Amino acid sequence: MPYGVSLVPWYDGRDGMYGWIWRHLPGNVWVKALISLVLILAVVYVLFQYVFPWAEPLLPFNDVTVDSQ
Amino acid sequence: MAATTDDTEEHTAAPGTAPTPRRRPGRIAAAVGVLGELLITAGLVLGLFVVYSLWWTNVLADREADREGDRVRDTWAHEGSGGPGALDIRDGIGFLHVPAMNKEEILVKKGTSAKILNNGVAGYYTDPVKATLPTSGRNGNFAVAAHRDGHGAEFHNIHKLKKGDPIVFETKDTWYVYKVYATLPETSKYNVEVLDAVPRESGRKKAGKYITLTTCTPIYTSRYRYIVWGELERVEKVDEDRTPPRELR
Repeated sequence: MPYGVSLVPWYDGRDGMYGWIWRHLPGNVWVKALISLVLILAVVYVLFQYVFPWAEPLLPFNDVTVDSQ
Repeated sequence: MAATTDDTEEHTAAPGTAPTPRRRPGRIAAAVGVLGELLITAGLVLGLFVVYSLWWTNVLADREADREGDRVRDTWAHEGSGGPGALDIRDGIGFLHVPAMNKEEILVKKGTSAKILNNGVAGYYTDPVKATLPTSGRNGNFAVAAHRDGHGAEFHNIHKLKKGDPIVFETKDTWYVYKVYATLPETSKYNVEVLDAVPRESGRKKAGKYITLTTCTPIYTSRYRYIVWGELERVEKVDEDRTPPRELR
């Protein structure tokens, strides 16, 4: 992860949002890695289950019918 | 940022005071950093969206289409040879077999709304033009639509269909064997005339029993529509073992 920084209270260090999350996870490196994995899966789940199905009809990629409108 | 030089003393700060950051970055550097992280995040999300549309929707649609297809076949098997028309309209009305395009059978249901087509089936048009079902026995156009990509991608290989290729529609009692006679690789999405009972753009002038497949093109987008026309060649009765017509063997 490249060093990012932020204006927001995520910390004024140099490792940005992801670094901030990492530092705030409890436990040692392995526990942190495990929690990170769970968080990533949760985000992917929310995207696949709710966000993408909502967004898809709004995008012009998959209209297959001819229509007069 | 006047305090920058003092911040290097952080490790010697007296107990009780909060540790001060090593070095406060400039406002511009910070903004660029935040922007960079947001862009990386956006890139990951878009990448996931591609995975979702081209892979995950197929997984879901194939599962659903298999289940619905099985249900239709079960219904057919249990109805026996009794009276016609007992089929629930919400279930599929039959299966399309297009060996040049797709090795699998495609369940056909009523309607072309996204809700129907997203389950990995082909839908026959009810709007803007009502499709004429082959089971009615009347002249007309059996117009169907299905997805090119994602959601089962039933018509993904529509461009492989050439003149003379068979399109077979299977119902409980009958095989309807169509032959492709014309294709239109690119047309406007407003061109509803392709669905007409006598689709003039295909070159036909007389009433007949036609089938029209529509989907989007180019692949992965839906700027245009791809049209394939076929004409009914013959009708075969389904026998005891449901032996497919020779085009499917």
